[in-house]
Amino acid sequence: MNKRQSRIFAIVATGIAAVAFVGLTLHSHTRFDELTNAQDITPEVTAGKDVWHKYNCINCHTLFGEGAYYAPDLTKIAQHRGEAYLKAYMRDPSKFYDEQRHRRLMPTQNLSEVEIDNLITFLDWVSKVDNQGWPPRPIMVTGGAVNVAAQGTDKALTQSQDVRPVSPDNDPRALGEHLFRSATPVCTACHSLQPGVQLAGPSMAGMAQRAATTIASPDYAGTATDVEGYIRESIVAPSAHLVPGDMFSAAGVSFMPNTYAEALTEEQVDQLVAFLATMK
Amino acid sequence: MRYKSQSVAYWYFAVAMVLFGLQIVFGLLSATKYLGPDPLLYILPFDVTKTIHTNLLIVWVLTGFMGATYWMVPEESRTELYSTKLAYWQLGLWTLMGVTAVIGYLFRYGTGNKLLEQPLPHKIVIVVVMLMFLYNIGMTIRKAGRLTTTEGVLIGGLALSAVLYIPALLHYENYTVSIFYRWWTIHLWVEGVWMMIMAGFLAYLLIRLSGVDREVMEKWLYVIVGLVFFAGILGTAHHYYWVGVPQYWLPIGGFFSALEPLALAAMAIYAYAAMRRGGVRHPNTLALHWTIGSAIFALFGAGLLGLAHTWPSVNKWTHGTLITAMHAHSAFYGAYAMIVLAMITYALPGLTNRPPGQNSPLGFWAFWLQVSGMFGMTLAFGTAGIGQVYLERIMGMGYLDAQLKIQVHFLMLILTATVFATGVALFIYDFFRHRPQFDVIADGTVDADPAPAGDR
Repeated sequence: MNKRQSRIFAIVATGIAAVAFVGLTLHSHTRFDELTNAQDITPEVTAGKDVWHKYNCINCHTLFGEGAYYAPDLTKIAQHRGEAYLKAYMRDPSKFYDEQRHRRLMPTQNLSEVEIDNLITFLDWVSKVDNQGWPPRPIMVTGGAVNVAAQGTDKALTQSQDVRPVSPDNDPRALGEHLFRSATPVCTACHSLQPGVQLAGPSMAGMAQRAATTIASPDYAGTATDVEGYIRESIVAPSAHLVPGDMFSAAGVSFMPNTYAEALTEEQVDQLVAFLATMK
Repeated sequence: MRYKSQSVAYWYFAVAMVLFGLQIVFGLLSATKYLGPDPLLYILPFDVTKTIHTNLLIVWVLTGFMGATYWMVPEESRTELYSTKLAYWQLGLWTLMGVTAVIGYLFRYGTGNKLLEQPLPHKIVIVVVMLMFLYNIGMTIRKAGRLTTTEGVLIGGLALSAVLYIPALLHYENYTVSIFYRWWTIHLWVEGVWMMIMAGFLAYLLIRLSGVDREVMEKWLYVIVGLVFFAGILGTAHHYYWVGVPQYWLPIGGFFSALEPLALAAMAIYAYAAMRRGGVRHPNTLALHWTIGSAIFALFGAGLLGLAHTWPSVNKWTHGTLITAMHAHSAFYGAYAMIVLAMITYALPGLTNRPPGQNSPLGFWAFWLQVSGMFGMTLAFGTAGIGQVYLERIMGMGYLDAQLKIQVHFLMLILTATVFATGVALFIYDFFRHRPQFDVIADGTVDADPAPAGDR
């Protein structure tokens, strides 16, 4: 190959790639509206995107896996946590995580209530974009083993690094999350917070919606009339309503321990309910 | 140096050195925040240090590119620059833009759009500076009436960088579409036209340092450029997998990304072969170290480590984790930082009063400390990333819990980053150790390529 031929190679190779790329880009534009639910991009979503940019969120967090990897990915956060939780979190993140224990903390951003609402709307839109199902669901093998192991030792779980110490004036949802990870027996041993990850018990992801569907269905035999009531009932009287499936119950008795009614105080149950009701 | 106006390069290099030093300060600061807790949470939070770290990288590398171009073009075209005054104005404006941008980031004045955080006024200044630069270079070449292939590839790369900055200036309502076009700037810069710039510098350095035949080098330069674009343009797709685009971008991205290391392998082989074949020994062996080092480190960091996680079924797990940071650090360093440092090392004896034996032990310490430090940082990020993927995405552990379990890797990151920073400090010290001195040397005895003789 002489110099002239190699120059032709460079030009032709670049040309072919560029034409193909532009062609595919044009075609992608015909699909963007459908894949991203463009009809749902309301002024609130756009305002939420501006909040996302204004507070430079992407240089700690990631969205669609793009960002700074210093803080969690938020692509599906609006599906995993309810609005109540997200609002409380954004008002004061320090109530939810502990810097001494987790080593990282989100600085309080002093967002206005409108900004918080818009940001949640934006994150909700993001969570519904058809992005080939990323991030992948974890393939759970050992589930809550980390916490179970910690509880089995002499070391009290509150000493475990996974759990943030709380003080009574924290948000009830934060206290509930703490209890979820530290009650005896520990909830995370059987329940994951990840969608689709079934351990010994059903995943808590989508808890609030499922509870609403359950109490509305004619098969429901319990006494609860609202979501909170159902969650409370499930904690203190697990057999009152059985989640369908052979892995969860047998002969009309739930596999879930029925000791929580005594082990937990009324107030603690309230906190757990407040936390679980945020699981959309 | 052979042309008086080449002296402008010195001032570009000096600014680049200062910014490089600052970049490392903010990098180290960011690295320690991974370990935490962070006493600077409300003064200099991670998002600020990280923004400054990446923006300074882009600015100093571009400053280095511009300086190196001002050094190389007079020699290749055998003429003085069209206007040194314009070059100095350009540097002043550029530095002002860089400094005010960094100060702005300290107060969160920015767009909050990853890697394109520059506020609009700064973006406009960037465009103006690029136009000044291209005009000056273009007029120099026009005046000389002599355009070599190495130069042509370099200028092509610089002009395309300016064109591809345009999508970064536009506004998009749809976040997915905005990501789509963000990569037109970022990816097509770093995996397309910047590669072209790097290949141009590499060819120039190899011709000068090893004295191999220009015809042969230029022929292969075209082949490399062809490979870069053939794979790189469609390789943009590997940024599209999970952002809400049609499914066909997955196989396309996987396939063309797999081809991307080809161009880098070709570049490394090309550099190695030139070194082997070159009959003339150039006294500046330190510059040769940086040149060959750049080609090899780029193949490792940009090529192989990129390939390690761009296949869609792998990327699905590794995307958005510290694996990306591993690839980004070694790729940017090998391909762009090192080639600029090679150009500086090559040009420096002509720009300062350093003695003819340019190979100071200090320079070699800087080289080896930087290379081994960066290699260690790559391993630290890589192992942290593998742990993160396993704990978080396979075991289903929460993000913060998983980060706690991989703390030891952040310790390793800080250690190796310190080694790297020491190498950088030595390089900067070695740069400023000698006074600038701009003597025009008429004959070509300092070079392996006995230029201005004949029309080769």
